[in-house]
Amino acid sequence: MASKYLTGTGSESKQLATWYFTFAAILFGAQLLFGLVAATQYVMPGFLYGILDFSIARIIHINALVVWMVFAMFGSVYWLLPDETGIETVGIKIGKLLFWIFAAAIVVVVLVFLFIQVGKADATTIWFITEGREYIEAPRWADWGIVVVALGFVGNLFLTGMKGKQTGIVTVLMADMIAFAGLYLAGMFFTDNISVDQYWWWWVIHLWVEATWEVFVGAIAAYGLIKMLGAHRQVVEMWLWIEVAMLFGSGILGLGHHYFWIGTPEYWWEIGALFSALEPLPLVAMFVHVLYDWGKTQGSEEEKGNTNSVINNKPAFTWFVLNAFGNFLGAGVWGFFHTLPQINLYTHGTQFTSAHGHLAFFGAYATILIGMFYIAVQGTNGIKVMKHTRASIWATSMITGGMMGMTVALTIAGYVQVIVSRAQMGATWAGYFDGQSGMWFQQAMDWRLIMGLVIFTGFIILAKDLLTTGKNPVHER
Amino acid sequence: MAKKSVWSDNRFWQRSATWVTGFASILLIWLTFDTSAQIAMGNDKNLKDGVTKRVPGPTVINYKITYEMSNKRGHEVPIIGGNDGKGNSLFQQKEKFFGRDDYSEKEARALLHLGKLGSQAKNCMDCHTLLGNGAYYAPDLTKAWLDPAWGPDGAMQALTGKNTKEEAMAEFLQHPDQYPTHARMMPNLGITAKEAKGLVAFLKHMSSIDTNGFPRNFGKIKGAVHGK
Amino acid sequence: MIDPSVIRPEIALGDFLPIFVSSALVLVFGGFYVGIYTAVKVKMLKPWFIALAYMFWLLTAYCLYLMGSLMHVGEFTAKALVVAAIGLILLPHAVYYMQDQVHKKNEH
Repeated sequence: MASKYLTGTGSESKQLATWYFTFAAILFGAQLLFGLVAATQYVMPGFLYGILDFSIARIIHINALVVWMVFAMFGSVYWLLPDETGIETVGIKIGKLLFWIFAAAIVVVVLVFLFIQVGKADATTIWFITEGREYIEAPRWADWGIVVVALGFVGNLFLTGMKGKQTGIVTVLMADMIAFAGLYLAGMFFTDNISVDQYWWWWVIHLWVEATWEVFVGAIAAYGLIKMLGAHRQVVEMWLWIEVAMLFGSGILGLGHHYFWIGTPEYWWEIGALFSALEPLPLVAMFVHVLYDWGKTQGSEEEKGNTNSVINNKPAFTWFVLNAFGNFLGAGVWGFFHTLPQINLYTHGTQFTSAHGHLAFFGAYATILIGMFYIAVQGTNGIKVMKHTRASIWATSMITGGMMGMTVALTIAGYVQVIVSRAQMGATWAGYFDGQSGMWFQQAMDWRLIMGLVIFTGFIILAKDLLTTGKNPVHER
Repeated sequence: MAKKSVWSDNRFWQRSATWVTGFASILLIWLTFDTSAQIAMGNDKNLKDGVTKRVPGPTVINYKITYEMSNKRGHEVPIIGGNDGKGNSLFQQKEKFFGRDDYSEKEARALLHLGKLGSQAKNCMDCHTLLGNGAYYAPDLTKAWLDPAWGPDGAMQALTGKNTKEEAMAEFLQHPDQYPTHARMMPNLGITAKEAKGLVAFLKHMSSIDTNGFPRNFGKIKGAVHGK
Repeated sequence: MIDPSVIRPEIALGDFLPIFVSSALVLVFGGFYVGIYTAVKVKMLKPWFIALAYMFWLLTAYCLYLMGSLMHVGEFTAKALVVAAIGLILLPHAVYYMQDQVHKKNEH
């Protein structure tokens, strides 16, 4: 147990992980800030009009989201590698170099988005300003940069996994990360055919967030349960394999639910409906799993007469539980209720999607990655049992509560759109604006902005807690 | 209790996960081949021969496009060049696009190419939805070409002072800040006259894509498209 | 091919809300079912709660039925929904059985 790898001190891999986490947290803040700009524009359309238009605010909002999560995921892997493999990460110097390249590239891309914004309709724009494809707007040069960085990262992971002890968690991560990196290639070409464009675009977006990222979360959750609860590795890893089977089994062909209306053949209705109906099952299962391990581990400790909590990192564990719950709620419930083609015909492209997107990204990914931040704070400060602080409780409640409130507001807005713009008005330009002008829609947008402010305040408190809690004397050392 | 059960054997589950993933992936790849063939862009010959493609060739901009109920399919489909009465395209009726209905394959392809590039260079998708995907800050553009607002009875031709749909659209795209339709205005994105023409061709082409009936009842309420 | 006489029915305006509510409740009730089942099994709750768990599954199945019929799903989708409902009832049993097996194997 006294391995130096369990703490941050002395492990270069863990040091690199903290760099990744720090940059991720900064981008998380940027994501929220630009989200607030976009949310304000829904309420006051003149806000920053012609200076920082909605499209630009939104590009930064969603790209910062994707990138902070990728950074935090890379950081998580660098953090857990020494623990799992028992050795220092191979090629850590290259890893550190790649971090700086990656971070610098992101800064350049963001500055170009902010100050150049749009270009002429030619290939130069696609290469150097924006690719204009939602979530992967980063220009082509940056795509290649990302490919190089991802290859370096996957290389580090593979070399370390093969040299050290290759646990089940590491094996899953190795397979998952290579798919994750490889899928990005599907989004790196230009075509005049928008149906073909969107077909492959969804390979990147869907197979990331509904397949490879979910499996990544499964692996991180497995690691977290072992670290924080002392759960039995054999059980956790067997469970991880079952999750992989369920997630990939339903998620890969669940891709079909994005192929209902983009010009692709009708058979995708059946494929999409079937696999979408199955997609929530692994999420339910992941939820049970956390509950089961917690109950069992606590139970067996109590049998030994130990009534203390088995959890050695309260804030991180809270975020992990929120992850199991949020994944189920955001990806499961909010995903399922508009996934069947019969209803999706009316909900596709409305604020329903937005409600689902917000809660799913938060519930499935933000939560567990924030949990990893806390695990890193615990590790770098050599804390044995980490407790909640007043700030961590406030941050958790405000971020989670704000997110739920925002989701409800967006759901109401989506409902108005479905009824007014779609079912009654047939999705025209006039129908669209009739829906947007409805009182319920407008009030929902007010509430969304208010909830956004709550989340942002929660984020400030979270940042403060992450920066200071390590030195707080309440924790057991 | 040392009884070996296959259900609690990690290797069994590892293999199962591999098989399930492999099987799903192979199925997806196979379906991708089939779909790719079905959504490949058609050409001018298809249109002249009366072959219906899910994504027609670029010269579809020479034809009249409508969106009508197909009894066979159970939803609306794009109708190109007139309806045979059963919801099939006749590929006969032409429609002038910027004064011409004889764009060659090469010319039409160049226009579409310019338009598609423009749609990305101006980040259209970060306010609008295209085929329902994108942002929700502005109207869906999937069937924008068929929107009654731009037709002879709509407000946009009078507002922009143009006599045809395509000219009104092009004018709007170049100076959106001069023609506000809502408190939420489209910003001026520096779209040139040439780019605007390409973008309108892109929109017209997109309206001819067979989207399995999305959006439902498009334009039904405000007349024009479906009602004729 | 779809029979020419069958035109996919419209969803009635008043049906949208019940559809959204019931489809959201499908998983909420499903979650309660699975959660209570597991909690009983790991002895966090008293055994009689198991009846409550199955009641929640019944509610789930009803919501699935309601949702499917209101949105006029086709035959295929209806079957898919039945499979999902059966999958859900079996899921926690299977999960618990397997986890227990592994635990026994590793602790004794």
